[in-house]
Amino acid sequence: MAHADEAAIFNKDEEKVDWHDKALWFVRQKRDKSAHNVKGWETLRNLASAIKANVMSNLDNYLIQFEENAQKNGITVHWAVDADEHNKIVHSILQQTNVKKVVKSKSMLTEECHLNPYLEAHGIEVVDTDLGERIVQLAKEPPSHIVLPAIHKTKEEVDVLFQKHLGTKPSHGDPQYLTNEARKHLRDKFLKADAAITGVNFAIANTGGIVVCTNEGNADMGAHLAKVHIACMGMEKLIPEEKHLGIFLRLLARSATGQPITTYSSHFNKPASGTEMHIIIVDNGRTEQLSREDFRASLHCIRCGACMNTCPIYRRSGGHSYKATIPGPIGSILSPGKDLTKHSDLPFASTLCGSCSDVCPVKINIHEQLYKWRQIITKNVPQPVVKKTILKMAGRVLANTKLYDFAGKSARFMLKYAPRWVVYSKLNTWGKARDLPEIKDGNFDQWYKKRQRHE
Amino acid sequence: MSRTSILNAVKKNKPELLPLPEINLNVFSEDIDLVKTFIENVQFVGGRAILLDSIKDIDAEIKNLYPHAVKMVSCIKESSLGSISISKNTEPHELETIDLAIVKGELAVAENGAVWIAENNFTIRVLPFITNDLVLVVNKEDIHLHMHSAYESISKRDRTFGLFISGPSKTADIEQCLVIGAQGAISLTVFII
Amino acid sequence: MKVGLFIPCYINQLYPQVGIATLELLEKLGLNVDYPMGQTCCGQPLGNSGYENDSKGICSLFVENFKAYDYIVGPSGSCVYHVKKHFDILEQTEDVKRVRKNTYELCQFIHDVLGKTDLGASFPYKVGIHKSCHGLRGLRLGSCSERMDAHYSTEEDLLKNVKGLELKTLKRVDECCGFGGTFSVFEEAISVKMGNDRIRDHIDSDVEVITGADHSCLMHLEGLINRNKQPLRVMHIAEILNSSM
Repeated sequence: MAHADEAAIFNKDEEKVDWHDKALWFVRQKRDKSAHNVKGWETLRNLASAIKANVMSNLDNYLIQFEENAQKNGITVHWAVDADEHNKIVHSILQQTNVKKVVKSKSMLTEECHLNPYLEAHGIEVVDTDLGERIVQLAKEPPSHIVLPAIHKTKEEVDVLFQKHLGTKPSHGDPQYLTNEARKHLRDKFLKADAAITGVNFAIANTGGIVVCTNEGNADMGAHLAKVHIACMGMEKLIPEEKHLGIFLRLLARSATGQPITTYSSHFNKPASGTEMHIIIVDNGRTEQLSREDFRASLHCIRCGACMNTCPIYRRSGGHSYKATIPGPIGSILSPGKDLTKHSDLPFASTLCGSCSDVCPVKINIHEQLYKWRQIITKNVPQPVVKKTILKMAGRVLANTKLYDFAGKSARFMLKYAPRWVVYSKLNTWGKARDLPEIKDGNFDQWYKKRQRHE
Repeated sequence: MSRTSILNAVKKNKPELLPLPEINLNVFSEDIDLVKTFIENVQFVGGRAILLDSIKDIDAEIKNLYPHAVKMVSCIKESSLGSISISKNTEPHELETIDLAIVKGELAVAENGAVWIAENNFTIRVLPFITNDLVLVVNKEDIHLHMHSAYESISKRDRTFGLFISGPSKTADIEQCLVIGAQGAISLTVFII
Repeated sequence: MKVGLFIPCYINQLYPQVGIATLELLEKLGLNVDYPMGQTCCGQPLGNSGYENDSKGICSLFVENFKAYDYIVGPSGSCVYHVKKHFDILEQTEDVKRVRKNTYELCQFIHDVLGKTDLGASFPYKVGIHKSCHGLRGLRLGSCSERMDAHYSTEEDLLKNVKGLELKTLKRVDECCGFGGTFSVFEEAISVKMGNDRIRDHIDSDVEVITGADHSCLMHLEGLINRNKQPLRVMHIAEILNSSM
């Protein structure tokens, strides 16, 4: 089902739409306040954007440098061309170290690769340890937001879910109680896990280290208790030098949630003695996106989710309506690069209002890329006949003064004199909830000609 | 194999080299009271920062703030509250029942209330996370204005594991309601000496 | 100074009064304004729908119609933005470059080019501004709530000088209304919801007249207001700036 249909279903419950919209708008407001407190915010954005552009233009060399430095520090580096190879690498590491239980902190890459079902099919227990991720995992749903995975769920829904899976008492959705219970439940999982999987927020070429940011401390609880730590990263996570973290860490949490920095920004450079650390560098379509001049800047994304919080469509349609690992504006420019036909509706799920581009901490021109994808999609993916015909016809009519004059007059004549039941027929989607403009006696052309005659 | 094919694809697909930007830190400089700003920001992120006249006062303060803490790990020589001693050979899982840990912070950052701690300050990596309550100690003169200055200061360190901590563990994953105490330490106190 | 009046197709056909107000206003400001007959559209509906390639004829006709003017002024931020931003599909001849450079949204032209803010208008109503996205984030008619720049607003500067006009502040100062061209039809449910939410904000802020520099957004809002019989109306900013009540 296309985004518009999913969105229409979501909009049947207006109260829930308002609730969802307000929850995310609240996050956007917190972001605004937090960014206001930073002197030189726009300079930070410019720097971050320029650094990422440099990274993309020199990515191969940075990757080699990163690998070399990481290996020097005793980290094993793996390379995966696609999701399948990534999953196989993870599984083979787990097999070699005889791992049966895995705890995993948030990683959109592992979502993209569908790692959990792969490992589960091989008899390995994977527990998502970020509270929001755990909630959607128990509900057997994908995350609906990259930073707030369970933002679509009410506290009452979480209450019911926890009663069923964690044996909690009914609490009318008391967040404090539910979080405490989740803490106990996850504490047990951390203590029993044989391996920890984490994502990577930043990989630093000149040190070979990685930085993982969380608020809950779940990535660290996993990584420091288990004997094996596997960090999965998209190849675009690289930054040239450690000092650049100063820029990105100032932007990331403020853009994401309005916090000045995440609670934990952990810098992993060497495995602890007696443990193993692996980093898997994943391509999975990224080199292809790198080749597309108009879309390569989408790889600058640092996964803060600010474009989702600000997007008036995302807020009113929910993350699941996008049917993509990464929903919202940024997802709508990334996903078509992976599967143009499947995601051909997404670049149209926008008014091109541009709020996403202005909120983006690394200044990705998201709305301009949405426009560009639209041009590609109409050429490569079959379009609704009516839409295509009308627009193609409009192209001819509007390029011809006489045709236009005739069409304008007849349309206005039709709208003015046709009976209401014809004008507001089922074919008129505009008129379902909106009136059409009242038709005046003449158009501007006619008024102007008349005025000239009288002068 | 995949390594080569990925690197070749990047080489083929990347744009012409774009320069790294010049970073002019003057844009970010501000004449503000670092201690005051730091204290405010620690509070903002759900922690507590207390200015002490002398490191000698720390034990009395901790006893006062955490009267029920029994199993304590002290990683600073100025405190005698440690009841559990740890070493490089300590099994991390054994720290599960620790009530409180005291760790020396190498520096702090005014703009976000973060404190940098490195592995050699706490020996066992999981300690600052697994402990119920966490106490950090930083010197007043080690408070930096912003992250740029903080990174400059730690650039020469021995890189194993280290982190910025800003406040206690927290989550807002249930309907955006902030709850302090998710998977890591449920409280954080920073003593500024 | 030779000024060519650009009246976007939907204003020409559906809102001639907006075109009239624009022309009268510019003439009041002492300008010699020409309306080149034979103009049609800027091509935006096609471009935004992904049929940019089919709009080349439209864009060329636009350039042909307006190439002789020093300034091209139109009362629609999104159309002007389209000319400036998306006429890159044409071969960049001197004419094309000049037309793109010299096309201005009405408020921007009055405010930035003519340097005027007090136009001697009076309009004794409570007014809320709808800051249309393409004017705001495309043409930068004002500061955007996402960015940390100093506050400014072209429309506010002009409206603040209108006698009797009381400018109201909204809760969400620059959220999109959900029109979005063909989006309004192909994503009907969200488009309507977004529009209704905007109107609610204006009603809650005690607004009697919603105004803005882009009548396509106002058309969408008007359609909802009329259908739901709500106690406020829409007017293009040119109509307010041209009024002397």
